[in-house]
Amino acid sequence: MENLYIPATNETPEIDFRFKDHQLHMSGESYPENAMAFFAPIRASLNDYLSSAQPAAAVEAHFALKYFNSSSTKLIRSLIALMHDSAQAGKRIVTHWYHDPEDDMMLEFGQDLKDEFRMLDIRVVAMETA
Amino acid sequence: MNLSHFADFCEQAVKDGILFYYTGEFSQNVIGAMSDTLKQRLDAAGVSGPARRKLFSAFVEMSQNIMHYANAAVHAGGRIGALAIGRNGDNKYYIVCGNPVRCEHVERIRGKVEPLRSMTVDEIKAAYREQLRNDAHDQDAISRGAGLGFLTVARESSEPIEYQIVYRSADADYAEFYLRAAI
Repeated sequence: MENLYIPATNETPEIDFRFKDHQLHMSGESYPENAMAFFAPIRASLNDYLSSAQPAAAVEAHFALKYFNSSSTKLIRSLIALMHDSAQAGKRIVTHWYHDPEDDMMLEFGQDLKDEFRMLDIRVVAMETA
Repeated sequence: MNLSHFADFCEQAVKDGILFYYTGEFSQNVIGAMSDTLKQRLDAAGVSGPARRKLFSAFVEMSQNIMHYANAAVHAGGRIGALAIGRNGDNKYYIVCGNPVRCEHVERIRGKVEPLRSMTVDEIKAAYREQLRNDAHDQDAISRGAGLGFLTVARESSEPIEYQIVYRSADADYAEFYLRAAI
């Protein structure tokens, strides 16, 4: 399956889904005018990747978001939910959720994801961002 | 506006500690340009990490709210929207916005905002989590987002959010909705 790369803009994060290497990265800020239009194709790609007949490769996901608006929130959560369903079905996925040490909101969001999606290995990591 | 009115306007802005004021159309381009300006202003004013994040978050929610819901009012000859950010004497920041809303939506808005005013921080966070997991919201034909906008503004505010609804004339199709958060 083809990799998915979308460069960052002021209001959308960088998407670097290297499906061939089973490395999924998302970083930056997300507050587009139409979050659904931005995230729907990303979700579709992720779904295709997770549901395609892959060998038992371990998937690593990295979410290093500095900020996202309310309409992006549910869509980011839905990406995590997809990975959770896949993990529940037996896929090995490790998800890293990075937050600035000073950003309690991003920390709590990661902890909430961990509480909600218990079958997915989510690691909440404090990391200085530039 | 003559010069003495403008001088008064400037004086009032200084008294209210205004860092930033905008009125006009809210588009994503305008919001992007304002975001850059706001970030520079906050850096110049030495606003620290958490306060900076909260102000920016409240700013995006308010300005996108105006963009999504108020621009239709342009055609009705209404003012489009206004937003200001400033610092009080007590070193707290405030963010205020105003925009026209259709009169028939006033009660719906009041019903969303009023309950947030009496909720504790933990109650707001719990309501936020509940709404985040509420998949039925997709069926809401009026909402343009995730139903989390006012909850997000309330979560960022260190005081209960304030709002006002102003009717300029009895027979107008639009009222004005004003919202304030303190950070």
